[in-house]
Amino acid sequence: MAGLLLRVKSKMAIFAHRKARGSLDGEYGSVFRGRSLDFDDLRTYVPGDEVRDIDWKASARHGSPLIKRYVAVRRQTLILLTDTGRNMAAVSRSGDTKRDIAVMALGVMGYLAHRHGDAVGLVSGDSAATRTVPAKAGEAHLERLLRVVNDAAGPAAAPSRLEDQLDHVVRTVKGRNLLFVVADELAAAPEMSRLLRRLRAQHEILWLTVRDADLVPPDSGGDSADANFYSVADSTFLPAQLAQSPAVRAAYAQAVAERDAGRKAMLAQAGITEGEVEGSRDVVAALFTLLERHRRAG
Amino acid sequence: MGLMYWWILSAAALALAGTAWVAFRRSNRANARRRPAAHADRLTTLPEYQAALRRHRRWLAAAALACASLLATSAVAAARPVDFTTIRPEQHNRDIMLCLDASGSMSSADSAVVDVFAGLAREFDGERIGLTIFDSTAIQVFPLTDDYDYAQEQLMLARDAFDGRPGSSGFLDGTWSGRGSSLIGDGLASCLNSFPRSTEAGRGAKGDRGVPQRSRSVVLATDNLLSGDPIMALEEAAALAKERAVRVYALNPGDLDYGPGADQPGAQLRIAAESTGGAYHALDSPEAVPGIVESVEETATAAIKGAPRAVVSDEPGLALGAALLSGLALCVSLWRLRL
Repeated sequence: MAGLLLRVKSKMAIFAHRKARGSLDGEYGSVFRGRSLDFDDLRTYVPGDEVRDIDWKASARHGSPLIKRYVAVRRQTLILLTDTGRNMAAVSRSGDTKRDIAVMALGVMGYLAHRHGDAVGLVSGDSAATRTVPAKAGEAHLERLLRVVNDAAGPAAAPSRLEDQLDHVVRTVKGRNLLFVVADELAAAPEMSRLLRRLRAQHEILWLTVRDADLVPPDSGGDSADANFYSVADSTFLPAQLAQSPAVRAAYAQAVAERDAGRKAMLAQAGITEGEVEGSRDVVAALFTLLERHRRAG
Repeated sequence: MGLMYWWILSAAALALAGTAWVAFRRSNRANARRRPAAHADRLTTLPEYQAALRRHRRWLAAAALACASLLATSAVAAARPVDFTTIRPEQHNRDIMLCLDASGSMSSADSAVVDVFAGLAREFDGERIGLTIFDSTAIQVFPLTDDYDYAQEQLMLARDAFDGRPGSSGFLDGTWSGRGSSLIGDGLASCLNSFPRSTEAGRGAKGDRGVPQRSRSVVLATDNLLSGDPIMALEEAAALAKERAVRVYALNPGDLDYGPGADQPGAQLRIAAESTGGAYHALDSPEAVPGIVESVEETATAAIKGAPRAVVSDEPGLALGAALLSGLALCVSLWRLRL
């Protein structure tokens, strides 16, 4: 098992070749809008940094853009929050296991935090139990967090219930932190909405939705044996050919659209920025988009 | 109804149980080839999907039912459903000898008898028929044969001769030798001699003892008006017939008896016929011949019915038909299931 974090790093390295180098760090650094007045030092501008953080005078002297760094920005706590229930053993829209996508997303975010010098903690679990790993800095610690998530989520795990983990954060975590939530396509629910509003009042929240498998594949042809699903919740077989009829197809499309709209509305109402990821290939890009969106929204 | 190989049913049940065991054992790993999906309620709570699922299940049930029915019916068909019946087989192995008195007074009755048998010969199947005419001597026109075309042809010729058609007079040549007329005992004895000897018949058919004896009957048309000195009297000829198990059916077109005396010609003929197990019919007119011949035919048929035999006949039609229908139903449901 060659290090989950190593995979995360290599994924980020590939991404860095495509986007401007370091832009992810810039995006991460500007997540917090709260600015301390304690000026710490200057650093080189990287794309994604807040324009208003540029020290124009110093930049003029230096010849290239420089960014002011404040004390408060440097030491944060990132709490990774994810579901390790049975749902995460299912496949995502792209066909990857959702757990792998979650590990990758958590790893990228955790590694960004690590490079920023922040401590990273973990709250994960399922309907049976919620596991907490206290926030610490260091790559070894980050690797351990990813291992916890990777080992816990599987078909034998208890059913998923993200409300428990959110409630746990509400009850136990003090102070203002950055909360990075990796979840799947949850349905909007009043209890969830209340929890999210409560959490948003205390924390900065980034929400990454791992898109679930499309139960009605858009192409009716192709290999039908591969298109058959079973429900991880109760191992029910979902015959693919039943979903092929136009009536079911239309109803499913409408239901999914309503479900997505409900979730987006719930998150928007709570003031949480949401990003979406379909497969492990586009995790870094999705996170970049999420951070960018969060900065713009702020 | 019964099953010839009833044990096939238990074998089929065993095979079915084994197959079911294998099938349901494999179902534990059925999801191995499928992919796990979370939030299946996105699809399963849709009323359209539930309706489709109900339809799917109904067709599955229909397919299972058709499959079970196909298995059951084909197992039953394989077990050979048979029908046990007891029948008295109607024998078509009769020998009928027409023994016609060719004296002038008998021609119209002879013509009617021959005509009726010419018609009957068309429907014969396995019977043998022969024709002997006699007056003072007996002539065998044709021996016992199952060549019905030939028999019919000869019977037609005989009818023409009895009717006195021109050009047919030679038919009756040789029946008159001057020793008398209507020597009935001699005629009957000659007819009896045209049957093969019973001992020869028993050995004849390759010594096969299973071949039933052919029943023998003589249709004797005569008025029993003897004039002359026969070698054999009617009583002796009748005794010979009885000994050889030949039934004599006598037709008398001119019953001219005076009173019930036993020595009258009609009464003698009746006694002779009935002593052989046959019957006696007095004819009022030649038109009555067909009916009487038919009744003779029927009584002869009834008399020679074979012993009751248990017959086992295969009845696969019902089981195979049901199996075919089940197979069609299975095909339709599988098509609907798009498997």
